[in-house]
This record gives sequence, C-alpha cells and structure tokens, in this order.
Amino acid sequence: MILLILLIITAYLINLVLPWWGIAITGFVLGFQMKPSSGKAFGIGFLALFLLWSGQALYIHLANDGVLSTRIAEMLGAGSPILVILITGIVGGLVSGLAVLSGSLLGQSINKK
Amino acid sequence: MNYLKALLPSLILVVAIVSLNTQFGTIPPIGKLVDPESGFWANAEIDLPESNELALEGFDGNASVYFDERRVPHIFAENEYDLYFAQGYVVARDRLFQMELQTLDASGRLAEKIGERALSRDKTTRRRGMPYGAEKALETMKQDPKTWEIVNAYADGVNAYLSSLEPKNYPLEYKILDFEPEEWTPIKTAHLLKNMTRTLAGGNNDDRTSNTMEYFGADFIEKFFEAKPELNDPIIPSSKEWDFERIPVEAPDTLFKPASAVELGEYERPEGVGSNNWAVSGSKTKSGYPILANDPHLSLTLPSIWYEVQLHAPGINTYGVTLQGTPGIVIGFNENIAWGVTNVGTDVMDWYEIKFKDETQKEYWHDGKWKPTTMRIEAIKVKDRETVLDTVIYTHHGPVTKVESNINEEQKPVYHALRWIAHEASNDIRAFYGLNRSENYDDYVEALSHYVAPAQNFVFASNEGDIALWVNGKLPNKWEYQGRTVSDGTDPLYDWQGWIPFEHNPHVKNPERGFVSSANQESAAPDYPYYLDDDFAPFERGRRINDKLAAMQDITAKDMQEMQMDSYSYYAETLLPSLLEWMDRDSLSSIDAEIFQLMEEWDYFMDGDEIAPSFFRHWSGNFYRAVFYDEYETTEATLRYPSRDRFVEIIKAEPNFKFIDDIDTDKIETRSDIVTISFHETVAELENYLGEFGDKWKWGYFIDNDIDHLASIPGLGRQNLFSSGSSEAINATRGGFGPSWRMVVELGPEVKGYGLYPGGASGNPGSPNYDFMVDPWRTGQLFELNFMKEEPKEYLYKLELK
Repeated sequence: MILLILLIITAYLINLVLPWWGIAITGFVLGFQMKPSSGKAFGIGFLALFLLWSGQALYIHLANDGVLSTRIAEMLGAGSPILVILITGIVGGLVSGLAVLSGSLLGQSINKK
Repeated sequence: MNYLKALLPSLILVVAIVSLNTQFGTIPPIGKLVDPESGFWANAEIDLPESNELALEGFDGNASVYFDERRVPHIFAENEYDLYFAQGYVVARDRLFQMELQTLDASGRLAEKIGERALSRDKTTRRRGMPYGAEKALETMKQDPKTWEIVNAYADGVNAYLSSLEPKNYPLEYKILDFEPEEWTPIKTAHLLKNMTRTLAGGNNDDRTSNTMEYFGADFIEKFFEAKPELNDPIIPSSKEWDFERIPVEAPDTLFKPASAVELGEYERPEGVGSNNWAVSGSKTKSGYPILANDPHLSLTLPSIWYEVQLHAPGINTYGVTLQGTPGIVIGFNENIAWGVTNVGTDVMDWYEIKFKDETQKEYWHDGKWKPTTMRIEAIKVKDRETVLDTVIYTHHGPVTKVESNINEEQKPVYHALRWIAHEASNDIRAFYGLNRSENYDDYVEALSHYVAPAQNFVFASNEGDIALWVNGKLPNKWEYQGRTVSDGTDPLYDWQGWIPFEHNPHVKNPERGFVSSANQESAAPDYPYYLDDDFAPFERGRRINDKLAAMQDITAKDMQEMQMDSYSYYAETLLPSLLEWMDRDSLSSIDAEIFQLMEEWDYFMDGDEIAPSFFRHWSGNFYRAVFYDEYETTEATLRYPSRDRFVEIIKAEPNFKFIDDIDTDKIETRSDIVTISFHETVAELENYLGEFGDKWKWGYFIDNDIDHLASIPGLGRQNLFSSGSSEAINATRGGFGPSWRMVVELGPEVKGYGLYPGGASGNPGSPNYDFMVDPWRTGQLFELNFMKEEPKEYLYKLELK
C-alpha cells in the first residue's frame, strides 16, 4: 500500500518536470529500494500508474466535456472516449509495472550477492 | 544467470519506452501522446483563457488585444510595428500549426517534417517553381520599406509567441505528427501568398485542349470552348465603354501543334474554387447607403483558412478576415469602405514544349539559336531518411517538367516548361496594406495597382456612395487564344510579350443598373479589347445573382444574407425540362413514376430536405457521361470536357449531335434512349448507395459535405454535415467545398458588418471554440461583427502585450 501511494506521488511529481518516461525512473528506484516480490512488483507498479493516468485523463475528459477525447477516440479508431482513458491508464501502467519489476529484480539480485 | 534474469525486464522496459516514444509510419508515439501532463490531454481546454499581461522579450512596444465573445481578437496599438507584431502573436497563438503546415507545403518541405509519404508532393511543389517564385517575391518585399517593416513586425510577433512555448503546450497536431515548430521568417509570408496563387490560379487546360483539338477538330473547340452560352452574363457588362486602344501583340500565322502528351493530373482546374461578391448602390437600398457582400468558395477545412481580426492603430481601423501568415486584412471593411474578392479565371499558366539540343539539357532552341538553361538543385530533406536532391532545369519560360506521352510515335517523353504568374516578383501585401486604410475610390484603385496574383475581382463600396469592381491582377497581354493550347517553346511569338497595363484591366464604377457583381464567370463582354481566357465558370451563379439584384429594391443587409443562401439551380432550370421531355415514360415502374413525378414538381432549388436535387445531379451527371465517355475515355490522350452550361445548350439545340450515339453498340442511340438509360441507371445506383427510395435520398445527405481537418487527421474534422446548396447555386456548398467566409457589410455613418466562417478562432481541436460556427454556417446564420471605434469596456478577456 505504501509502495502504491509512493509510486503515485513520485510519478505525478516527476512527470511535471521530466518527459513521460520519467515515471519509469521513479518506478525503478522505488522497486529497487523496496524490493517487492516479482508478481507484486508488476501488479502494484501497473495499478499505480493506471490509477494515476486514467484518473488524470478522466478528470480532463469531464472538465473538457469530452470535446478532445471524443476526437482522439475517432482518430485512434477507439470508438469511445472511455476507451481512450483506459488506453492512457494501460500505457502508463505497463511502463510503470515493468519499471518496478526491473528495479525490484535488480535490487534482489544485488542483495543476494 | 541471476543477473541475466534480473536484467531481462529492464531490457524490455527500455525497448517499451523507446517504442512508445517513436513514431511508426503514421502511428504517433503513443507513450508521449497519452501522457496526461504533456501529451494530447494537455490540449484539452478546461478553463476559458484569462486576461493577462505578457512581458515579451525583445518587444518594447505596447498593444492591447481584446477578445470578444466569439474570441475574435481586436488589436489596439500605438504604431504599426506594434500592431502587426500583435497580429503575428495572436495568430500564432490560435493557429500556429496551420500557418506552419501551409508554408511547409508551399515550400516543398513537408517530407522534412512528416516523412517520406510527402516526398512526391514536395517534388511537384518545387518542380512547379513555388520556392523560386517566393524567393523573387521576397526580394521585392525587401525593396519596399513599408512592406518589409510589417512583414518583419509580424514575424517578430510569431517568434515572441514561439519562444514562450513549451513542448507540452505545442498545438495538438505537432504531437500527433511528432515534430516541433520552427522560427517564423518573412519568406514564409511569401510562401503563403504563392500558395494562394497555386490554389486559385494553379491549373490550366493546355494539354487537354491541344489533344481535344487533335482528336475532335477545331469545330468542336469552337463549338464548346469559344462560343459562349446565350445566358452568359459577363462581370463587366457590355454597357461599359472602353476608352483606350489595346497594346498590340503579334500572333503567329499558324497554331503550333504539340506532341500529344498525357496531362499532369495535379494541374487540372477543379470546379469549386470560385466565389461570389456583389455591391448594391444606395439607390437600391433601404438605408440609402451601399451594401457589399462576399463569399469566397474554397476547399473547407478545420481550422478554417480564414481568421477574423480587427486592427486598430493611428491611421488604421479595419476589420475582416486574413490568411494565416499574412499581415493585414484580406477581405473586410473599415469606417469608410468595404471590399471583397472572387477569383478571376484568366489564363496565367502556360506550358511550352521545349526542344533540347541533347540529353544533357544544357541548351534549348529559342528564337533561332541555342540558349543555355540554368539548373536549380532542390535539396529535399526527408525525416529519418537521406536528403533527396532533385535537379530542375529552367529555361527563360520557367521550370521544365517531363511529361509522359504514350501516344506519340516513338513514345518519347515530352518536356514542358512552365510559364506561370506565381514566378513573378510580387508585393501583394502592399495592396492589402492600402485597402485596409482606403478612405475612398481613389485610394482603393491605388491599392489595387500593387496587386499581382492570384488575380481577383475586387468589389468595392464606400460611404461616399460609390460602388465598383475591378478585375485585377498582373495579366499577360496575349493574342487571341494564346496559351490555351501547348505553346511552341522555340518561337518568341508564343512568349508572354508584355502585360495589360493596370488601367486597362476590366473595371466598372457606379454602373447605371445600380449594382456590380462577380461569380467567376467571364470577366468582360466580348468588346473588351484583350484576350483573357476561354475557360471561365459557367454562367449559372453569376446570372442568378444579377437576376436577383436587378429585381430587388429597398435592400437590407438581411436580404443580402438570405441571398447568399440561395440555392436555385440554373443548371436544373435549363436542362431538367428537356430530360423529362425526352424520357421514355413507358419504361417507368411504379417507383420510377413516383420519382419522375417528384422531378416534374420540383422548383429547382437545391434544398437539403428535397430528394429531387439528388436525383437531378446524379441523373444529369450520368447523362453527360453517357454522351461523352464512350468517345473521350477510349482515346489515349487526356481530353478537355465541355463545360456544363454549353453542353446543355448544344444538347437541346442539336438532336443529332454525333456524340449522343453510344459508339460501343451497333444501334444508333437517340437523346431519348440515352436519357432513359441514364434514368434507370440513376435509380439503380442511388438504391445501391443510399438504400430504398425514401428520406435517405435527400440532397442534404447526398451532397456529402465533410469539413476535414487541414492535414486530414481523422477525428479532427466534421463529417456528413446535412447541407443545402450546390456548385451551380449562389450557396455553392458541395462535398467539402463552399463558402469559406460569408460577409455582408452595410456602409453608412455607422458601418455594420455581418459574417462567419465554418470553424472558430481557435485552431485547437481540444477547444469548443474550434468548430462552433460550423452549424450556424450550415444553416445560414451570420453574426454581427463587433467593429469597435475605441477600446471596449466589455470583453471576454484581454491580453496586454508589453
């Protein structure tokens, strides 16, 4: 739970200053430090950014009355703006999940030595 | 081993990040794109823009920009530099991607930003000499201190906006297409103006006319392209007297016969780029002051090609629309005058068949000697690829293009050199600069004298009660029919021997009939001493406008707005009764009979709610094709098709016109056979496209009106807009073409303007403002234009540039 919250907060902050792949750095570092087990690492990493990015996207979607998300949905052939929000969450989640997993595995293998 | 296992996810992670950060073909970099902070989500407009004071680096002026409810900027400045600086700034703020894309396209640099898929378009752009023409225009602009000042002020304004721009705030399209905006320079303004010349005067019929003459003979040419329809109603009417002698030119004794060549598709003249404008004098209006109306028809896109703005500084207070990249107002009004434009169909683009000495193309034959060519190497940068070098040969005519020919005996390629008005040095900005400040007729004429291309019918009305129309631009002085066929590149008599002096351009001021008008039809009645072209728009729109204006009295601005939405079809009026008469009624099934009755009862208005217009346009199209396709499409050359209006006349007058027969059958068909066959074909085709006869056949759907995004990005346009209108009607809406700006201006002590374009001030697809005027446009509503005499107290928000 702590990892989840930390991941969300740090990813949000780093994304304000670094390009989108900054979320991989915070994920990796937190994974490296906290070394959750592999399954957990990916799962929590994924969930954190899925929640953060789809949450941000949902907020923008609602505040913008869906003007842009509807257009992007059509552009991507996604059918519905909700799908665009989910895609946003999944892309963030995948990268974050992989990052936490990578950090955790590397941390564990160094520790074992 | 453990390490390897531990490193594998890291490796996948890196690959994933790189992939999601890279563009594959037309697929945007997805990771970058969906990032809620800096990706497309950042372009979603959440709050209205707020008033702000902006301290801009390198700008020591002062300008206040007030945005009204429709977000039209009203710029108030203390001097001209500040004024045009602010214009550049706000246009960039609203339309950066558009202004950059248009100039990239006009300079043949698209591939540099969006990759190989644009390479062939870039090559064509350069081979027709677009950058070459812009460079010449830039030199002229430099020599005029006034023009140079405002073009630079404008560029400084654009760049001030650019330097404040962070990647997360880039317009959406940059993120989708994955490139970055670049600095704005004055030559981009020149590119943009040349682009308008390409759009409006970038086509010709030379090859097609030559081929048609070869296949069907001079009589056919005379019948369809020289003789004018009886209902023809030229812009400058025959009542105008010409008080000058034309400057003579020498014509060759016999007409050059070129090697038959296949016409280059991209030089075809599309119908649809046309426009209407008119002005009525105070004697015909309710207020006693003139009223002026204009609706230029162009390819419709989002964002709109136009941008509305008011410019206010000492010596200038003007309102109207402008092109992105052009300082000043192109169509609009000020406190004293109003003006508008429609395109002139003069022939300002000619092909010359070139005789090279040998394959090196270093010398060509002209005027009895070998003359050296020059070479221009076009280096076309391509995104993620090597730069492509393209050598273009220039003769004194212009750039040379290889034209395929599969019909001359040896199937040798033919070389055509292009003489084109866009290659001329020009300072068109100066004309708009003058118009924006004109106080009366004389100022207007002086301003027009600076204008080169694309030639326009400039309509005019003033507070002093004058109305006028000048067919204006730099026009080559040609012998009759010079350049409508491919010219002899070796004979100087085919060169453009000079220009029609500005004062000789067709024009009319305060004619007795109390109105002036233009709708791209023939510029002047046959007594006008110069040859301009043999290919103008059909008479239909022009005549309808003149019919209506002649009959009207006590005209109000509202009447003019309604007239802009008029969808009456002269085409239907002149053709449909004959089609119905020739029809074999015995062949009608019960559904057919119902359709037939609908056609008999129709009033010829191309109304979206009616089915008859759909059926008529499709039926008449099928009929036309049935008459000509069998002959036209079985030849190996590309041929020139007769225009609609002349076709109607001939087909009615000549029952035995030999093209009526279908040469693919043994039978000799009559008009009645062809009309009947086309009728049944039409029913079958419409059933096929639209389903069973019924509401789905309504013209509003069949017109297929889409306003696509400028770069054709799916989702960013507006599809299937149920609309009325037609290419032959005043409301010339039709499948993606149509009135790109509608304006009505009532002159008087308090000038009043009304207008709109299908789009919105904001070029941001994430803003509700982006397309909010599309529906009002579709239904014919105009907004009252907020023309301010002084800085307003009420406004939506305000930017203070310092």
